[in-house]
Amino acid sequence: MAKPKIAIFDFACCEGCQLQIVNLEEEILSLLGGADVVEWREAMSEKSDEYDIAIIEGSITRMEDEERLKVIRGKAKVLIALGACAVIGGINKLKNNFDDLEEVKKCVYGKAAGKPHLHTGPTKAVGEVVQVDFSVPGCPIDGKEFTYIVRSLLMGKTPEIPEYPVCVECKANGNPCLWQYDQVCLGPIIRAGCGARCPSNGFRCFGCRGYVDKPNVDAAKDVINRFGLNIDDLKTKMVLFGSRQEPTIYE
Amino acid sequence: MCQCCAEKKDIYLPQLATVADISQMNVTEKYLRLAMDDGQFDFLPGQFVEISVAGIGEAPITISSSPTLGDSFELVVRKIGRVSGAIHNLKRGDKVGIRGPLGKGVYPVEEAKGKNLVFICGGIGMVPQRSFINYVLDNRGDYGDVAILQGTKSYDLRLFTSEIDAWSKRGDVQMLETLDEGDPRWKGNVGVVTKLVAKIETDLKSAMILVCGPPIMYKFVLMALAEHDVPHGNIFLNLERKMKCGVGKCGHCQINHAYVCMSGPVFRYSDLASLPEAI
Amino acid sequence: MTVKKIAKSDFTSFVDALIRTEKTIGVQAKGDRFDFAPLESAKDLRLDYDVTLQPPKKYFLPPSEVLLTFEVGGPYQSQLDGQKFILLGVHPYDMVAINQMDELFQQDNCDVHYVTRRQNATIIACDVAKPSDHVFASSMGTAVVKKGYDILLTDIGDSFVAEAATPKGEQLLAKAKGVKADAQALKKREDVWARNKKSLNKHELKCDPAYLPKLLAKAYKHPVWEEKAKTCFSCGSCNQVCPTCYCFNVQDDVNWDLKTGQRVREWDGCLLDGFTKVAPAHEFRKARADRFRHRLYRKGAYVPQKIGGQIACVGCGRCVGACLPDIANPVSIYNRLIDDLGIG
Repeated sequence: MAKPKIAIFDFACCEGCQLQIVNLEEEILSLLGGADVVEWREAMSEKSDEYDIAIIEGSITRMEDEERLKVIRGKAKVLIALGACAVIGGINKLKNNFDDLEEVKKCVYGKAAGKPHLHTGPTKAVGEVVQVDFSVPGCPIDGKEFTYIVRSLLMGKTPEIPEYPVCVECKANGNPCLWQYDQVCLGPIIRAGCGARCPSNGFRCFGCRGYVDKPNVDAAKDVINRFGLNIDDLKTKMVLFGSRQEPTIYE
Repeated sequence: MCQCCAEKKDIYLPQLATVADISQMNVTEKYLRLAMDDGQFDFLPGQFVEISVAGIGEAPITISSSPTLGDSFELVVRKIGRVSGAIHNLKRGDKVGIRGPLGKGVYPVEEAKGKNLVFICGGIGMVPQRSFINYVLDNRGDYGDVAILQGTKSYDLRLFTSEIDAWSKRGDVQMLETLDEGDPRWKGNVGVVTKLVAKIETDLKSAMILVCGPPIMYKFVLMALAEHDVPHGNIFLNLERKMKCGVGKCGHCQINHAYVCMSGPVFRYSDLASLPEAI
Repeated sequence: MTVKKIAKSDFTSFVDALIRTEKTIGVQAKGDRFDFAPLESAKDLRLDYDVTLQPPKKYFLPPSEVLLTFEVGGPYQSQLDGQKFILLGVHPYDMVAINQMDELFQQDNCDVHYVTRRQNATIIACDVAKPSDHVFASSMGTAVVKKGYDILLTDIGDSFVAEAATPKGEQLLAKAKGVKADAQALKKREDVWARNKKSLNKHELKCDPAYLPKLLAKAYKHPVWEEKAKTCFSCGSCNQVCPTCYCFNVQDDVNWDLKTGQRVREWDGCLLDGFTKVAPAHEFRKARADRFRHRLYRKGAYVPQKIGGQIACVGCGRCVGACLPDIANPVSIYNRLIDDLGIG
């Protein structure tokens, strides 16, 4: 059987998720044993129009990017969204909270705001433009999870991404709940799979992997009340990754 | 130290089996016949196996053949997940891992002797029932009347069509089949399987009733049987759950206090009174 | 069997000697809490702890473990963990939980992975010196323990009373410098037991725990399940920190050669979404409230049926502290049922 051809493309993002792949070092060589990487701007100069698996990093903010993505989708047998920007829109979706994008642009870029490459619209996750077959959530992605997903696909099996929240992995790591240390941790409503990396190192969960399928909004409201907080306290913690994401506790 | 640990016997360790035969039955179902590499395999109708495809995982599948088949056994697998999907890609001669036979709740092979039997099957519910049906037919003299009811969603999803034809042609089996949806190619009954209950010729009150089908079906079949005052002790339901470990540990198949993999998968209806999660 | 009185300074030397000879896991500070972890020095050992973040079950049933290895087309191989270790500082309620797990993993089909680890362990239990915020072991009859350990330690002030309960414990205890415990020391130990039988009770169950199966027999449709589950995140924290939860999931992972790999067992939890899902369209215990009820029934009715009536909640109180919406407390639920349904 011929090795499947993999191409990696980046859109609006910091390219940090690709860096996570580069950082896999020896595992990349193993990956190359099972597949041919035919296009990957961050790591190689070749380009190719033929590929089986397209890995998309970044969110979609420009019309021309939508078109480019649709072309890629048309060629790829399997399309994987890589990282928070691609999977849920990520930090880039922050701007969708503002009604006047022109004003946002001026605020951020000042005089350069008029340059043509900054002509962008509201941010979309990859799945809002084309059909996504598999997602690798996280900001950045978890290298171990990424390799597991790729190996699974090369084996012809659907990778299993947790349906349960971060608390499961956090408790399995033997951590106390960060809420007891006055941190508004999003763990109970955010999809696990990261190994609870942030809470295990003393930082609250920022929600980079997106919500679980059925987050309990009533429970979240109950908890913020019991801790003497209000809905805005929670919103400010959720806005980084949770902006305009469905389902949402925004009303 | 217990014996199993002295021998390092591992309840999770599959034994290798070889795919002796494999074929597509319809759009979603694959048939396969397996032979254990060490030759040993004794089971009772109603028991299941955990089948492993290396690297993909393990899934519980009830044995579809009768123990009277001989050295090999048959499974029918619907493509719904990772493991079943990988099973669909197997070829003759491939190796799989098998743990089992598992399950202590089996068909009442002995108790049913001399009694009249009614099999009520919905869709792939025929698959596990077929093990006992063929056992009964291979020991025909030991059992009374036999009625087999099969309800299938649509014409293209019918299973074991040649076997069902053969059963209908036998003089000693009442074979009743229906489709939920009518079809130009279908001349028989149309409607849900419960509609066939009224057509059963044998006395229902004294018969053993064996039921297997999709979860939704049980409630309606039991309502239909209640109209005929069938004693609950005479009804056997094949309940399948997520029997992940198959040996009473992992907890996934638990319905109230019972582990389906241990007490089932075949349950006597009168024993389900304390298991509200069963139906 | 030997009962020794060991001065605390001698006990420290004893522990340091243990660490030098065998892998020793003991209770240590973790931030302002405590947890079991490999000991490097006796000075890190904190037998004055109230409760550990995680129960010691992870040393017998790790959060993730390789059960088997395989090669596509070839035979599967069992992987057993052969390392011997000493587990130091197990509280009585956790010891009771381990005793229950021993029964559950050995009955019907013996789990050689669990049992091998268990047989490799030497357990030094220790009576509780300081009650935790949510402990209710006194209510559950688990404040003191009489079996399962190899050695039992009791802090009686300036020294420990150490009692060997098995030949393994006897052998180990022989290495400790100490004297045969006198009547006064034994009396002090009795006092600790008497105190703990009363004082490990931050939540008080209003019935004898033996009554719980009968109570639950009439509580299946009680509104409390819906009420509590309304704010349940289904995060499984209560499962993860419970010393008697042992449900697990099993998955295959392959190596980069795509030919060899391992079958891995991981903790699972009955509270989690999808726990009973067999196919996209078939999920059996789907409602949050049904899953919530299942845990309380497992502890109070279902598991007891498998282990001769022992209640599978040992009163460690970890779930109470781990549940963010504060709905997990078994005592408050069982008491509510008693209030509404009465006893008898």
